[in-house]
Amino acid sequence: MTAVVAGRRTRRRRAGTVTVALAVVAFALFVLTMMVGSFYVSAWDVITSAFHLRDEPSVDFIVRDLRLPTATAALAVGFALGVSGMLFQKLLGNPLASPDFVGISSGASLFAVSSIILLGAGSAMVSASALAGALVSAVLIYLLAWRDGISGYRFILIGIGLSEFMLSIIGYLVAHAELYEARQAMTWLVGTVGQAGSTELRTLLVALVVLVPVALLLQRPLRVLELGDDTANALGARVELSRLALIAVSIVLIGFATAVAGPVMFVALIAGPIAQRMVGHSGGGIIAAGLVGSIIVLGADLVAQHVVPVALPTGVITGIIGAPYLIWLLATVNREGRGG
Amino acid sequence: MTHDLRAKNLTLGYSDVDIVRDLDVVIPDGRITVIVGANACGKSTLLRGLARLLRPRSGQVILDGTSVHDLKSVEVAKVLGLLPQSPVAPDGITVGDLVGRGRYPHQGWFRQWSSEDDRAVAAALEATGTADLADRNIAELSGGQRQRVWVAMALAQDTDLLLLDEPTTFLDINHQVELLDLLTDLNRESGKTIVIVLHDLNLACRYADHIIAMKQGAILAEGPPIDVIDSAVVTEVFGLACEVVPDPVSGTPMIVPRGRHHAARETVSAAS
Repeated sequence: MTAVVAGRRTRRRRAGTVTVALAVVAFALFVLTMMVGSFYVSAWDVITSAFHLRDEPSVDFIVRDLRLPTATAALAVGFALGVSGMLFQKLLGNPLASPDFVGISSGASLFAVSSIILLGAGSAMVSASALAGALVSAVLIYLLAWRDGISGYRFILIGIGLSEFMLSIIGYLVAHAELYEARQAMTWLVGTVGQAGSTELRTLLVALVVLVPVALLLQRPLRVLELGDDTANALGARVELSRLALIAVSIVLIGFATAVAGPVMFVALIAGPIAQRMVGHSGGGIIAAGLVGSIIVLGADLVAQHVVPVALPTGVITGIIGAPYLIWLLATVNREGRGG
Repeated sequence: MTHDLRAKNLTLGYSDVDIVRDLDVVIPDGRITVIVGANACGKSTLLRGLARLLRPRSGQVILDGTSVHDLKSVEVAKVLGLLPQSPVAPDGITVGDLVGRGRYPHQGWFRQWSSEDDRAVAAALEATGTADLADRNIAELSGGQRQRVWVAMALAQDTDLLLLDEPTTFLDINHQVELLDLLTDLNRESGKTIVIVLHDLNLACRYADHIIAMKQGAILAEGPPIDVIDSAVVTEVFGLACEVVPDPVSGTPMIVPRGRHHAARETVSAAS
């Protein structure tokens, strides 16, 4: 009895400590990205200005108007991608099942690129199209994968198939577009937090404030859904309803994140497993996954803007970090015979 | 506490095939019931139907006088537990955490964990001899240990009825016996009603108080093994020619298949 209690407390304490540490790191990076640039601002000035603790017109212009929107976008987009990826991976029981691999991001990209190339749309319209694309592709995958319920494996395979199909249409559209539109589409497709419009960013923040608590509540049924449908049913969980709610939360989050920054690749894939490894597998870790996502995107943006000689889109850096991880994942998952 | 689990005119199936047809059964309270039958005879389907994992095509499963589909899932889950054939252990999960998830039906959105939960988890680990493994990762355990951990999870659910779908499938003979002994302990010590789907007829005959032999979605024979299982029934159920002799340890029926070879045995047994 005491051993059981002690084990549970240890697991919870570890999760708590790691989550707080991650929050500190994310906040430090958030401040750091607003300090550096063509004009250096001290950490103190950044904090007092960003949180409206003091008005100092020259600093406020740089911090609040120029740097805060990008930094906030990086923080929020990373958080949304991290949470979304974690929910998908747990729900489908597969580390490869991140929404950017099972076709949700491709759906968003297809709609966004179509609106740029075919309609010559502006940024608000592109974002709305991306969101619509994420939802449409998710519904399509859900319907195609439905057979007396949803199995993770079928969902992933159909998602990957659909994703390839949509990517090939994107290829066709870009190849036949005028140079200017094609260039604009390609920039969007790489994904960068710098392109965020303020309306889209505000929408994403609202979505996070509403949906993250929902995700935390859904963590309870998620813990038994992870044990397989039969076990979850036997334990009295409402399996289909909980799963639908979890998928919906995950898709809305990634849809809004993509609307803000384009498909920033690999963040949703890697944030969950990293967080899981740090907090331990029992700790839930939804907040931790979000924070890891924020740290990755903030870090990638910092590198993309200031470390490499030419400023690059965020997606290039996350791609450079993420691709080797994916290869490692595929290699080890297959060795353990769990296939992906 | 006594419970009454029964099926009435129950028809179960997947997509457009009926697997179990118009079946009536009463599960004896406080006893061990074992369901046997050839592959695809509908025994697992019946078990899943009893645990309301399948919605009946027609007929109903009745728990304490009410159709299970009219009861709230979580209320059924406080009385009736099921260990499915292939439960999934998430990556990296520890034994203590997994067993704790069996407490789901006793928790709520606001009452997340109580000392009652701690007590139930500790008791389940104790009963299955897995207390020492509580902090170990599931993936590190042997097949026998892992199966005991799953049983512990089902025990933590703290139900008076426990249904198990082929719990011995991946175990060697030693661990099969160990697990069935454990289930017998649970039945004798706490009066749990246990229903098991088993492949091994000899073990089924030894451990069952009540045996149900199924063929093509219907019950062919049921009752105490010693009254029910003879060579005619085994031949009918499995299409296997065999001798049935008393088990030298328990005296329950023991099945010796004939097969087409090694006929010398036949003359020996015919002579004796």
